[in-house]
Amino acid sequence: MKRICAIGMILCILTGMLCGCGSSSLSEEEENTIVIWHDKEDAVIKVLEEQLKNTDSGIKVTFEKKSDLTESLKMVGNDPKAAPDMYLFAHDKIGVYAEMGILAPITDIIPKEELEPYMDNTIEAATYKGEIYQLPLYYETLLFMYNRLYMSDEEVPETTEELYAYMKENTKGGHYGFVEQHSTPYYAAGWINGYGGYILNQEGKPGLNQEKTVEALEYHKKFVELMPGETEYATVNTLFNEGMAHSTIAGPWLIPTVKESGMDVGVAPMPVIEASGTPISPYMGVQGIQVLKNAAETKPKAIEEVLRAWMDADVQVKLAKASGCAPANETCYELEEISSDEVVMAMKETAENAVPMPNVPEMDVMWTVAGTLLTDVNMSGKDVQESADKAQQEAENLIKSMQ
Amino acid sequence: MKKKKKNILFAYGWAAPSLLLILLIVIFPIIYTGYISLTNMNVYHWNNYDIIGLDNYKDALFVLDNGFIKAFGMTVLWTVVSMVLQLVLAFIIANLLNIKKLRLRNVYKTLLIFPWAMPGYVSILLWKTGMFNSQFGLLNQWMEKLGFSSVKWLNTNFLAFCCCTVVNLWLALPFMITIIDGALQSIDKSYYESALLDGASWFERTVYITIPMIRQIIAPSVVITVFTTFKQFDVIYLLTQQVGAKTGADIHTIMTYAYEKAFITNNYGYSSAISVIIFLILIAFSIVTNLKPKEEGAV
Repeated sequence: MKRICAIGMILCILTGMLCGCGSSSLSEEEENTIVIWHDKEDAVIKVLEEQLKNTDSGIKVTFEKKSDLTESLKMVGNDPKAAPDMYLFAHDKIGVYAEMGILAPITDIIPKEELEPYMDNTIEAATYKGEIYQLPLYYETLLFMYNRLYMSDEEVPETTEELYAYMKENTKGGHYGFVEQHSTPYYAAGWINGYGGYILNQEGKPGLNQEKTVEALEYHKKFVELMPGETEYATVNTLFNEGMAHSTIAGPWLIPTVKESGMDVGVAPMPVIEASGTPISPYMGVQGIQVLKNAAETKPKAIEEVLRAWMDADVQVKLAKASGCAPANETCYELEEISSDEVVMAMKETAENAVPMPNVPEMDVMWTVAGTLLTDVNMSGKDVQESADKAQQEAENLIKSMQ
Repeated sequence: MKKKKKNILFAYGWAAPSLLLILLIVIFPIIYTGYISLTNMNVYHWNNYDIIGLDNYKDALFVLDNGFIKAFGMTVLWTVVSMVLQLVLAFIIANLLNIKKLRLRNVYKTLLIFPWAMPGYVSILLWKTGMFNSQFGLLNQWMEKLGFSSVKWLNTNFLAFCCCTVVNLWLALPFMITIIDGALQSIDKSYYESALLDGASWFERTVYITIPMIRQIIAPSVVITVFTTFKQFDVIYLLTQQVGAKTGADIHTIMTYAYEKAFITNNYGYSSAISVIIFLILIAFSIVTNLKPKEEGAV
């Protein structure tokens, strides 16, 4: 008896190991089934699902939330059985996946002319080596936020020097005039871009020791001196949320949290940097749909139908209302329901100057290198030019070793 | 004779499924990593990668420059400091737990094992925000109460190293205490009785009875802990280098160094070469540690 049990167990294990090796061709039902990976909040997905219900096309769309989407996609992107058909994510990984050869240009399915209504910089963000790989839905930028309890609407700084004056006056006794994740590249990029420097350009060349970048770092440093010595998300946002900091630069995702804790939060345009005349210009992240190559080849019809359903400007208006997403479609901003939304309009205004996050694969190594540069300058007090040269060298080495 | 052979065959037969499993999840990845390290598998050659021989190793050894040597030295220092502190503290605490008339012994034991039951990731981040954070951390609140100015615990190399060591101790002590506690209880009490009759002091009893008796028992655990400490990544990375939450301290062990130099490049061939090199260092290390007890046994 025992032996039979054991043999049974062995068989189970072996079949378990071997299953998944079978093969089959696509049936009609499979052609009409679309799997989409995403990492978004439920409100966003609900709007997208609702829209598909209206079309009544018989296509079954399944959303799968993946917390580790980017890594999983690298592993299974080539395997039609394990990979999704599309994924909903920010545009900044397009370069990596396009180079890996797992993405299909969106123009294979939707003619380029039809992408006309989208804002230019969202399309620019979606373009890698001349091909458009993403159908934009909405975008995000950082915003200048202030706590009306401490900073009145009249006091909101229009320039960075005004901001500095405000910080000097109000940073005392455990209070801060202004806080941000000063040594985190995603946040500091706004200062560097606004000054005319760059972390990485579209050609994938790092610009950490460019004259303008170095000047920006020097200039930014005096602000950092009036901020806490921590750069992480939790500390900075808690300071603002608890009313210890009067203003901050943070993502729109912070607004629901601070409103919940009863803050009268205001959103304002980014202060202008005097030296360049440009406002602080943060990175813009465009969220949208990417189609995997394999799916584009095997089920183009179903994919086209789903994409077209979501190109409806109405979807983006609903997304804005459901989750404060700024529509990528220019025409939406003529509608009253969008132009009356303070947060969305502030993002639109910031987006005018925002720089699309570089989507080239080289960006993957820049986050760490730029982070080290920023902490060297801001927290360890090392010489700016020297640190920048070192970081530039490091970035170039790492980019070389990517190939 | 024939029967014996048959028995051996049977034994392997029964062990086959688990051997197969071990082969699949332990041996295969190592061999596969070795294979990948000989290719140019990276973002630009994802499906169409070729075997390029030892080029990756050349690059790896070239990149593993002064920084790597420094990181290696730091790793050794880190391992030695952590191990010495761990053994001494665990030995003291385990001895305290074995005091004869100790009440609530099991309560203390449960409390002491607690850090081990918590996921390491959670413990580390709790320490980071709860203790060391310069704005809200408990340490700085104490400093303020005592009238000192607040300290940025994780921003300078020396302090950050100390903080990492403390957190590592917190994570690793429960295991050591349990092992040493078990070893202490296995010592025959009659040794101590005769030693007492001979008038041996506590110190003499410890040096001549306790330590020699437990050494063999705790040796494997010590070797295991040396390894986990040597390739420790979480504590140092999460406390000081996490992307978006860097603190400015520049302490690298070989693992965090390799991560910053290779793994973020998405170049799998190159990263594999670095992994293989670290793997070989660890293997060499384990051979050395395995040699030692045998020599002692022979003497």
